[in-house]
Amino acid sequence: VRAGAAALYGQVLVNEKWRGSAIAQGFQGKIKPIFEDGLGLVDFHLSNQTCVLYISETDMVVGNSYKRKLVRFQKATSLRGIVLVEKTRISEQYFQSVQKFVVLELGMTLLPVASQTEASQLLIQLVHEESKEHGHNPFRRKSRSNLAEPAVLAMVQQIPGVGKVKALALLQQFPSIHQLSNATTEELEVVVGRTIAQQIRTFFIQT
Amino acid sequence: DPSRTAMSSGSPAPCVLVDSREIASGPEVISCLRVKHGLRAEVCSLGGCNFIVSNRMAVERRTQSEISHSQNRGKLVERVQSLRAAFERVCLIVEKDRTKGETSRIIQRTRYYDSTLSALLGAGTRILFSSGQEETAGLLAELTRVEQRKNAAITVPLQVKGHRQQALQFYLTIPGVSYVSALNMCHRFRSVWHTVNSSVEGLAWGACVDPQRAEEIFRYFHYTFDAQLLPDRPTPGSSKRSL
Repeated sequence: VRAGAAALYGQVLVNEKWRGSAIAQGFQGKIKPIFEDGLGLVDFHLSNQTCVLYISETDMVVGNSYKRKLVRFQKATSLRGIVLVEKTRISEQYFQSVQKFVVLELGMTLLPVASQTEASQLLIQLVHEESKEHGHNPFRRKSRSNLAEPAVLAMVQQIPGVGKVKALALLQQFPSIHQLSNATTEELEVVVGRTIAQQIRTFFIQT
Repeated sequence: DPSRTAMSSGSPAPCVLVDSREIASGPEVISCLRVKHGLRAEVCSLGGCNFIVSNRMAVERRTQSEISHSQNRGKLVERVQSLRAAFERVCLIVEKDRTKGETSRIIQRTRYYDSTLSALLGAGTRILFSSGQEETAGLLAELTRVEQRKNAAITVPLQVKGHRQQALQFYLTIPGVSYVSALNMCHRFRSVWHTVNSSVEGLAWGACVDPQRAEEIFRYFHYTFDAQLLPDRPTPGSSKRSL
Protein backbone atom coordinates (compact mmCIF):
# COMPACT_ATOMS: atom_id res chain seq x y z
CA VAL A 1 0.00 0.00 0.00
CA ARG A 2 1.45 3.32 -0.97
CA ALA A 3 0.87 5.63 1.93
CA GLY A 4 0.09 9.29 1.49
CA ALA A 5 -1.00 9.07 -2.12
CA ALA A 6 -2.94 12.29 -2.44
CA ALA A 7 -5.59 12.90 -5.02
CA LEU A 8 -6.57 16.41 -5.96
CA TYR A 9 -10.21 17.34 -5.80
CA GLY A 10 -12.22 15.74 -8.56
CA GLN A 11 -9.51 13.19 -9.17
CA VAL A 12 -9.10 9.60 -8.19
CA LEU A 13 -5.96 7.47 -8.15
CA VAL A 14 -6.74 4.21 -9.89
CA ASN A 15 -4.80 0.98 -9.75
CA GLU A 16 -3.31 0.28 -13.18
CA LYS A 17 -5.20 -3.03 -13.35
CA TRP A 18 -8.44 -1.10 -13.89
CA ARG A 19 -7.30 0.56 -17.07
CA GLY A 20 -9.88 0.00 -19.80
CA SER A 21 -12.43 -1.39 -17.36
CA ALA A 22 -16.11 -0.48 -17.18
CA ILE A 23 -15.42 1.32 -13.91
CA ALA A 24 -12.77 3.53 -15.47
CA GLN A 25 -14.97 4.24 -18.47
CA GLY A 26 -17.78 5.31 -16.17
CA PHE A 27 -15.59 8.08 -14.76
CA GLN A 28 -15.35 9.86 -18.10
CA GLY A 29 -16.58 13.40 -17.96
CA LYS A 30 -17.28 13.24 -14.24
CA ILE A 31 -14.00 12.69 -12.44
CA LYS A 32 -10.44 12.33 -13.63
CA PRO A 33 -8.78 8.96 -13.16
CA ILE A 34 -5.03 8.89 -12.64
CA PHE A 35 -3.64 5.44 -13.19
CA GLU A 36 -0.86 4.36 -10.87
CA ASP A 37 1.24 1.29 -10.87
CA GLY A 38 2.36 0.99 -7.28
CA LEU A 39 -0.95 0.97 -5.41
CA GLY A 40 -0.57 -2.61 -4.28
CA LEU A 41 -3.64 -3.92 -2.49
CA VAL A 42 -5.57 -0.72 -3.01
CA ASP A 43 -7.88 -0.33 -5.98
CA PHE A 44 -8.70 3.37 -5.69
CA HIS A 45 -7.38 6.28 -3.62
CA LEU A 46 -10.02 8.89 -2.93
CA SER A 47 -7.75 11.10 -0.87
CA ASN A 48 -4.65 10.73 1.22
CA GLN A 49 -6.77 9.30 3.99
CA THR A 50 -9.34 7.17 2.28
CA CYS A 51 -9.05 4.38 -0.20
CA VAL A 52 -11.26 1.76 -1.77
CA LEU A 53 -10.79 -1.96 -2.13
CA TYR A 54 -12.94 -3.89 -4.57
CA ILE A 55 -14.26 -7.40 -4.07
CA SER A 56 -15.74 -8.85 -7.22
CA GLU A 57 -18.44 -11.48 -7.54
CA THR A 58 -15.73 -13.96 -8.48
CA ASP A 59 -13.61 -13.08 -5.44
CA MET A 60 -16.54 -13.84 -3.17
CA VAL A 61 -17.46 -17.09 -4.84
CA VAL A 62 -13.95 -18.47 -5.20
CA GLY A 63 -13.01 -18.45 -1.54
CA ASN A 64 -11.71 -16.48 1.39
CA SER A 65 -8.58 -14.93 -0.08
CA TYR A 66 -10.31 -11.56 -0.16
CA LYS A 67 -10.43 -11.78 3.64
CA ARG A 68 -6.69 -12.23 3.84
CA LYS A 69 -6.24 -9.27 1.49
CA LEU A 70 -8.34 -7.04 3.74
CA VAL A 71 -6.54 -8.14 6.88
CA ARG A 72 -3.18 -7.45 5.18
CA PHE A 73 -4.43 -4.03 4.18
CA GLN A 74 -5.45 -3.19 7.73
CA LYS A 75 -2.13 -4.29 9.11
CA ALA A 76 -0.15 -2.38 6.50
CA THR A 77 -1.72 1.03 6.87
CA SER A 78 -3.76 3.40 8.97
CA LEU A 79 -5.69 4.61 5.93
CA ARG A 80 -9.44 4.44 6.10
CA GLY A 81 -10.64 1.66 3.84
CA ILE A 82 -13.98 1.44 2.08
CA VAL A 83 -14.81 -1.94 0.62
CA LEU A 84 -16.95 -2.12 -2.48
CA VAL A 85 -18.46 -5.55 -3.00
CA GLU A 86 -20.26 -6.94 -6.04
CA LYS A 87 -23.60 -8.16 -4.75
CA THR A 88 -25.23 -10.08 -7.58
CA ARG A 89 -27.68 -12.95 -7.80
CA ILE A 90 -24.70 -15.28 -7.72
CA SER A 91 -22.75 -13.74 -4.87
CA GLU A 92 -25.77 -12.68 -2.81
CA GLN A 93 -25.64 -15.76 -0.62
CA TYR A 94 -22.22 -14.75 0.69
CA PHE A 95 -23.10 -11.14 1.32
CA GLN A 96 -24.14 -11.32 4.97
CA SER A 97 -21.02 -13.19 5.99
CA VAL A 98 -18.82 -10.75 4.04
CA GLN A 99 -20.60 -7.86 5.73
CA LYS A 100 -20.18 -9.40 9.14
CA PHE A 101 -16.47 -9.88 8.55
CA VAL A 102 -15.74 -6.49 6.99
CA VAL A 103 -17.91 -4.27 9.17
CA LEU A 104 -18.37 -6.03 12.47
CA GLU A 105 -15.00 -7.75 12.76
CA LEU A 106 -12.64 -5.46 10.86
CA GLY A 107 -14.59 -2.25 11.46
CA MET A 108 -14.34 -1.14 7.83
CA THR A 109 -17.05 0.36 5.65
CA LEU A 110 -18.84 -1.89 3.19
CA LEU A 111 -20.93 -0.79 0.22
CA PRO A 112 -22.65 -3.25 -2.12
CA VAL A 113 -22.87 -2.58 -5.86
CA ALA A 114 -24.57 -4.69 -8.49
CA SER A 115 -22.02 -4.13 -11.23
CA GLN A 116 -18.94 -2.18 -12.24
CA THR A 117 -21.22 0.45 -13.73
CA GLU A 118 -22.89 1.00 -10.37
CA ALA A 119 -19.49 0.97 -8.68
CA SER A 120 -18.35 3.69 -11.02
CA GLN A 121 -21.28 5.95 -10.15
CA LEU A 122 -20.84 5.33 -6.45
CA LEU A 123 -17.13 6.12 -6.63
CA ILE A 124 -17.95 9.42 -8.33
CA GLN A 125 -20.17 10.37 -5.40
CA LEU A 126 -17.55 9.27 -2.89
CA VAL A 127 -14.96 11.44 -4.64
CA HIS A 128 -17.35 14.41 -4.66
CA GLU A 129 -17.94 13.94 -0.95
CA GLU A 130 -14.20 13.96 -0.26
CA SER A 131 -13.85 17.23 -2.14
CA LYS A 132 -16.53 18.97 -0.17
CA GLU A 133 -15.78 21.01 2.87
CA HIS A 134 -17.21 19.66 6.08
CA GLY A 135 -19.68 22.48 6.39
CA HIS A 136 -21.43 21.25 3.26
CA ASN A 137 -22.42 17.92 4.69
CA PRO A 138 -25.94 18.37 6.08
CA PHE A 139 -25.62 15.34 8.34
CA ARG A 140 -22.66 16.87 10.14
CA ARG A 141 -24.30 20.17 10.92
CA LYS A 142 -25.30 20.71 14.51
CA SER A 143 -28.77 22.13 14.60
CA ARG A 144 -28.75 22.84 18.29
CA SER A 145 -28.79 26.47 19.28
CA ASN A 146 -26.61 27.58 22.16
CA LEU A 147 -29.49 29.04 24.11
CA ALA A 148 -30.61 26.64 26.78
CA GLU A 149 -33.43 28.80 28.11
CA PRO A 150 -36.34 26.84 26.64
CA ALA A 151 -34.89 23.52 27.79
CA VAL A 152 -34.10 24.76 31.31
CA LEU A 153 -37.60 26.15 31.65
CA ALA A 154 -39.06 22.86 30.45
CA MET A 155 -36.86 20.97 32.88
CA VAL A 156 -38.00 22.94 35.93
CA GLN A 157 -41.60 22.29 34.89
CA GLN A 158 -40.91 18.57 35.17
CA ILE A 159 -40.79 18.97 38.91
CA PRO A 160 -44.19 17.89 40.28
CA GLY A 161 -46.39 20.84 41.13
CA VAL A 162 -44.36 23.34 39.14
CA GLY A 163 -46.06 24.98 36.18
CA LYS A 164 -44.72 27.69 33.91
CA VAL A 165 -45.45 30.64 36.20
CA LYS A 166 -43.79 29.04 39.23
CA ALA A 167 -40.89 27.84 37.06
CA LEU A 168 -40.16 31.38 35.90
CA ALA A 169 -40.40 32.68 39.46
CA LEU A 170 -38.03 29.99 40.71
CA LEU A 171 -35.50 30.62 37.95
CA GLN A 172 -35.60 34.32 38.75
CA GLN A 173 -34.43 33.52 42.31
CA PHE A 174 -32.26 30.51 41.55
CA PRO A 175 -31.00 31.01 38.01
CA SER A 176 -29.51 27.59 37.43
CA ILE A 177 -30.68 24.01 37.95
CA HIS A 178 -27.66 23.57 40.22
CA GLN A 179 -28.66 26.50 42.41
CA LEU A 180 -32.27 25.36 42.48
CA SER A 181 -31.20 21.90 43.68
CA ASN A 182 -29.39 23.50 46.63
CA ALA A 183 -32.12 25.90 47.70
CA THR A 184 -33.46 25.15 51.18
CA THR A 185 -37.14 24.65 51.90
CA GLU A 186 -37.19 28.05 53.64
CA GLU A 187 -35.68 29.78 50.62
CA LEU A 188 -38.12 28.04 48.28
CA GLU A 189 -41.15 28.82 50.45
CA VAL A 190 -40.69 32.52 49.85
CA VAL A 191 -41.15 31.97 46.11
CA VAL A 192 -43.69 29.15 45.78
CA GLY A 193 -45.21 28.55 49.19
CA ARG A 194 -44.64 25.73 51.66
CA THR A 195 -46.36 22.82 49.87
CA ILE A 196 -44.61 23.21 46.55
CA ALA A 197 -41.34 24.03 48.33
CA GLN A 198 -41.49 20.66 50.07
CA GLN A 199 -42.36 18.91 46.81
CA ILE A 200 -39.33 20.46 45.18
CA ARG A 201 -37.01 19.38 47.99
CA THR A 202 -38.43 15.87 47.90
CA PHE A 203 -37.98 15.67 44.15
CA PHE A 204 -34.30 16.49 44.41
CA ILE A 205 -33.30 14.47 47.44
CA GLN A 206 -35.45 11.34 47.36
CA THR A 207 -33.39 8.24 46.59
CA ASP B 1 -14.75 4.34 43.73
CA PRO B 2 -17.80 2.53 42.48
CA SER B 3 -16.87 -0.48 40.40
CA ARG B 4 -18.11 -0.29 36.83
CA THR B 5 -18.21 -4.01 36.41
CA ALA B 6 -20.18 -4.81 39.52
CA MET B 7 -23.47 -4.75 37.71
CA SER B 8 -22.38 -6.83 34.74
CA SER B 9 -21.25 -9.87 36.68
CA GLY B 10 -23.52 -12.89 36.25
CA SER B 11 -24.18 -11.82 32.62
CA PRO B 12 -27.93 -11.66 32.05
CA ALA B 13 -29.10 -11.59 28.44
CA PRO B 14 -27.85 -8.53 26.56
CA CYS B 15 -30.55 -5.95 26.01
CA VAL B 16 -31.81 -3.63 23.34
CA LEU B 17 -34.14 -0.68 23.66
CA VAL B 18 -36.76 -0.60 20.91
CA ASP B 19 -38.94 2.35 20.01
CA SER B 20 -42.66 1.57 20.25
CA ARG B 21 -43.18 2.66 16.63
CA GLU B 22 -41.23 -0.41 15.54
CA ILE B 23 -44.15 -2.58 16.68
CA ALA B 24 -46.04 -1.48 13.59
CA SER B 25 -43.13 -1.13 11.18
CA GLY B 26 -40.95 -4.03 12.25
CA PRO B 27 -42.79 -6.64 14.33
CA GLU B 28 -40.66 -9.47 12.98
CA VAL B 29 -37.52 -7.66 14.03
CA ILE B 30 -38.68 -7.56 17.63
CA SER B 31 -39.82 -11.15 17.82
CA CYS B 32 -36.63 -12.35 16.12
CA LEU B 33 -34.50 -10.44 18.61
CA ARG B 34 -36.28 -12.14 21.47
CA VAL B 35 -36.88 -15.63 20.18
CA LYS B 36 -34.05 -16.31 17.76
CA HIS B 37 -31.31 -14.25 19.37
CA GLY B 38 -32.31 -14.45 23.01
CA LEU B 39 -31.99 -10.76 23.66
CA ARG B 40 -34.05 -8.76 26.08
CA ALA B 41 -35.89 -6.24 23.94
CA GLU B 42 -37.58 -3.52 25.92
CA VAL B 43 -40.15 -1.58 23.95
CA CYS B 44 -40.72 2.01 25.03
CA SER B 45 -41.12 5.46 23.62
CA LEU B 46 -37.61 6.46 22.62
CA GLY B 47 -38.50 9.77 21.01
CA GLY B 48 -36.09 10.29 18.16
CA CYS B 49 -34.59 6.86 17.87
CA ASN B 50 -35.41 3.39 16.49
CA PHE B 51 -33.08 1.16 18.52
CA ILE B 52 -30.48 1.63 21.22
CA VAL B 53 -28.03 -1.28 21.42
CA SER B 54 -25.58 -0.01 24.04
CA ASN B 55 -24.78 2.97 26.23
CA ARG B 56 -23.39 4.79 23.21
CA MET B 57 -24.89 3.40 19.98
CA ALA B 58 -28.16 4.18 18.25
CA VAL B 59 -29.36 2.20 15.25
CA GLU B 60 -31.66 3.69 12.68
CA ARG B 61 -33.64 1.35 10.45
CA ARG B 62 -34.69 2.67 7.05
CA THR B 63 -35.87 1.06 3.84
CA GLN B 64 -33.93 1.42 0.63
CA SER B 65 -36.70 3.46 -0.96
CA GLU B 66 -36.71 5.87 1.98
CA ILE B 67 -33.04 6.62 1.37
CA SER B 68 -33.54 6.82 -2.37
CA HIS B 69 -35.98 9.67 -2.51
CA SER B 70 -35.13 13.27 -1.88
CA GLN B 71 -38.57 14.04 -0.40
CA ASN B 72 -37.46 12.25 2.76
CA ARG B 73 -34.17 14.07 2.92
CA GLY B 74 -35.24 16.71 5.46
CA LYS B 75 -36.44 14.16 7.98
CA LEU B 76 -33.42 11.94 7.54
CA VAL B 77 -31.08 14.89 8.02
CA GLU B 78 -32.91 15.98 11.16
CA ARG B 79 -32.86 12.47 12.58
CA VAL B 80 -29.17 11.85 11.92
CA GLN B 81 -28.22 15.28 13.31
CA SER B 82 -30.05 14.64 16.57
CA LEU B 83 -28.69 11.11 16.85
CA ARG B 84 -25.15 12.35 16.32
CA ALA B 85 -25.67 14.89 19.10
CA ALA B 86 -26.88 12.30 21.58
CA PHE B 87 -24.87 9.20 20.67
CA GLU B 88 -21.18 8.53 20.20
CA ARG B 89 -21.99 5.98 17.51
CA VAL B 90 -24.74 6.04 14.98
CA CYS B 91 -25.50 3.11 12.71
CA LEU B 92 -27.94 2.95 9.84
CA ILE B 93 -29.43 -0.33 8.63
CA VAL B 94 -30.69 -0.04 5.07
CA GLU B 95 -33.37 -2.68 4.65
CA LYS B 96 -34.65 -3.89 1.32
CA ASP B 97 -38.27 -2.94 0.77
CA ARG B 98 -40.82 -5.62 1.39
CA THR B 99 -42.42 -6.64 -1.88
CA LYS B 100 -45.85 -8.10 -2.38
CA GLY B 101 -46.23 -10.97 -4.75
CA GLU B 102 -43.64 -12.61 -6.93
CA THR B 103 -42.19 -9.75 -8.91
CA SER B 104 -39.37 -8.30 -6.86
CA ARG B 105 -39.48 -4.61 -7.52
CA ILE B 106 -35.95 -3.60 -8.29
CA ILE B 107 -35.37 -0.16 -6.97
CA GLN B 108 -33.47 1.91 -9.49
CA ARG B 109 -30.22 2.98 -7.95
CA THR B 110 -30.11 6.73 -8.11
CA ARG B 111 -27.32 9.27 -7.92
CA TYR B 112 -29.24 10.64 -4.99
CA TYR B 113 -28.99 7.32 -3.15
CA ASP B 114 -25.22 7.19 -3.71
CA SER B 115 -24.68 10.78 -2.63
CA THR B 116 -26.78 10.25 0.51
CA LEU B 117 -24.74 7.18 1.44
CA SER B 118 -21.52 9.09 0.78
CA ALA B 119 -22.63 12.02 2.92
CA LEU B 120 -23.70 9.69 5.72
CA LEU B 121 -20.29 8.03 5.63
CA GLY B 122 -18.68 11.45 5.61
CA ALA B 123 -20.56 12.21 8.81
CA GLY B 124 -19.20 9.10 10.51
CA THR B 125 -22.37 7.03 10.25
CA ARG B 126 -21.86 3.28 10.07
CA ILE B 127 -23.96 1.61 7.42
CA LEU B 128 -25.21 -1.97 7.20
CA PHE B 129 -27.41 -3.60 4.57
CA SER B 130 -30.20 -6.08 5.15
CA SER B 131 -32.60 -7.92 2.89
CA GLY B 132 -35.46 -8.03 5.37
CA GLN B 133 -36.65 -7.87 8.97
CA GLU B 134 -35.06 -11.16 9.97
CA GLU B 135 -31.65 -10.09 8.74
CA THR B 136 -32.09 -6.71 10.42
CA ALA B 137 -32.68 -8.49 13.71
CA GLY B 138 -29.52 -10.51 13.11
CA LEU B 139 -27.50 -7.36 12.52
CA LEU B 140 -28.96 -5.70 15.62
CA ALA B 141 -28.05 -8.75 17.67
CA GLU B 142 -24.49 -8.71 16.29
CA LEU B 143 -24.10 -5.02 17.04
CA THR B 144 -25.38 -5.56 20.58
CA ARG B 145 -22.88 -8.33 21.18
CA VAL B 146 -19.98 -6.38 19.68
CA GLU B 147 -20.84 -3.46 21.95
CA GLN B 148 -21.00 -5.85 24.88
CA ARG B 149 -17.49 -7.10 24.09
CA LYS B 150 -16.34 -3.50 24.10
CA ASN B 151 -17.82 -2.96 27.58
CA ALA B 152 -20.51 -0.61 26.38
CA ALA B 153 -23.51 -2.81 27.10
CA ILE B 154 -26.51 -1.42 28.91
CA THR B 155 -26.26 -2.77 32.45
CA VAL B 156 -29.00 -0.92 34.30
CA PRO B 157 -32.60 -2.09 34.58
CA LEU B 158 -34.53 -1.07 31.47
CA GLN B 159 -37.60 -0.12 33.42
CA VAL B 160 -38.04 2.81 35.70
CA LYS B 161 -40.60 2.63 38.48
CA GLY B 162 -42.27 4.97 40.91
CA HIS B 163 -40.74 8.36 41.54
CA ARG B 164 -37.79 7.50 39.31
CA GLN B 165 -40.15 8.03 36.38
CA GLN B 166 -40.19 11.73 37.26
CA ALA B 167 -36.40 11.79 37.37
CA LEU B 168 -36.27 10.10 33.94
CA GLN B 169 -38.55 12.71 32.38
CA PHE B 170 -36.48 15.40 34.09
CA TYR B 171 -33.25 14.11 32.54
CA LEU B 172 -34.85 13.65 29.13
CA THR B 173 -35.29 17.44 28.85
CA ILE B 174 -31.51 17.88 28.73
CA PRO B 175 -30.61 18.77 25.12
CA GLY B 176 -28.47 16.16 23.41
CA VAL B 177 -29.06 13.50 26.05
CA SER B 178 -30.12 10.06 24.90
CA TYR B 179 -32.80 7.88 26.46
CA VAL B 180 -30.15 5.44 27.65
CA SER B 181 -28.03 8.20 29.24
CA ALA B 182 -31.12 9.41 31.11
CA LEU B 183 -31.84 5.82 32.17
CA ASN B 184 -28.29 5.43 33.44
CA MET B 185 -28.53 8.63 35.43
CA CYS B 186 -31.77 7.42 37.03
CA HIS B 187 -30.20 4.22 38.27
CA ARG B 188 -26.61 5.17 38.91
CA PHE B 189 -27.04 8.37 40.92
CA ARG B 190 -28.56 8.15 44.40
CA SER B 191 -30.84 11.11 43.78
CA VAL B 192 -31.47 13.93 41.32
CA TRP B 193 -29.52 16.17 43.68
CA HIS B 194 -26.50 13.90 43.26
CA THR B 195 -26.71 14.07 39.48
CA VAL B 196 -27.09 17.83 39.36
CA ASN B 197 -24.23 18.34 41.83
CA SER B 198 -21.91 15.88 40.21
CA SER B 199 -18.54 16.74 38.74
CA VAL B 200 -17.83 16.25 35.05
CA GLU B 201 -16.04 12.97 35.83
CA GLY B 202 -18.97 11.87 37.97
CA LEU B 203 -21.39 12.60 35.15
CA ALA B 204 -19.27 10.65 32.67
CA TRP B 205 -19.43 7.68 35.02
CA GLY B 206 -23.09 8.00 36.00
CA ALA B 207 -24.55 8.72 32.57
CA CYS B 208 -22.06 6.40 30.83
CA VAL B 209 -21.05 9.07 28.35
CA ASP B 210 -17.78 10.37 26.95
CA PRO B 211 -16.05 13.34 28.68
CA GLN B 212 -17.25 15.81 26.06
CA ARG B 213 -20.89 14.98 26.59
CA ALA B 214 -20.39 14.91 30.35
CA GLU B 215 -18.97 18.42 30.07
CA GLU B 216 -22.04 19.57 28.11
CA ILE B 217 -24.41 18.13 30.71
CA PHE B 218 -22.41 19.78 33.50
CA ARG B 219 -22.54 23.15 31.75
CA TYR B 220 -26.26 22.74 31.25
CA PHE B 221 -26.91 22.17 34.96
CA HIS B 222 -24.84 25.27 35.75
CA TYR B 223 -26.27 27.40 32.96
CA THR B 224 -27.49 30.81 34.16
CA PHE B 225 -31.06 31.28 33.01
CA ASP B 226 -32.05 34.63 31.55
CA ALA B 227 -35.76 35.04 30.90
CA GLN B 228 -34.98 37.76 28.35
CA LEU B 229 -33.47 35.11 26.09
CA LEU B 230 -36.63 33.06 25.78
CA PRO B 231 -37.97 33.06 22.23
CA ASP B 232 -40.33 35.94 21.44
CA ARG B 233 -43.98 35.31 21.94
CA PRO B 234 -46.39 37.42 19.86
CA THR B 235 -48.30 39.86 22.09
CA PRO B 236 -52.02 40.46 21.40
CA GLY B 237 -52.61 43.56 19.30
CA SER B 238 -49.20 43.81 17.73
CA SER B 239 -48.95 42.69 14.16
CA LYS B 240 -45.54 41.49 13.19
CA ARG B 241 -45.65 40.84 9.54
CA SER B 242 -43.10 38.37 8.33
CA LEU B 243 -40.92 39.56 5.50
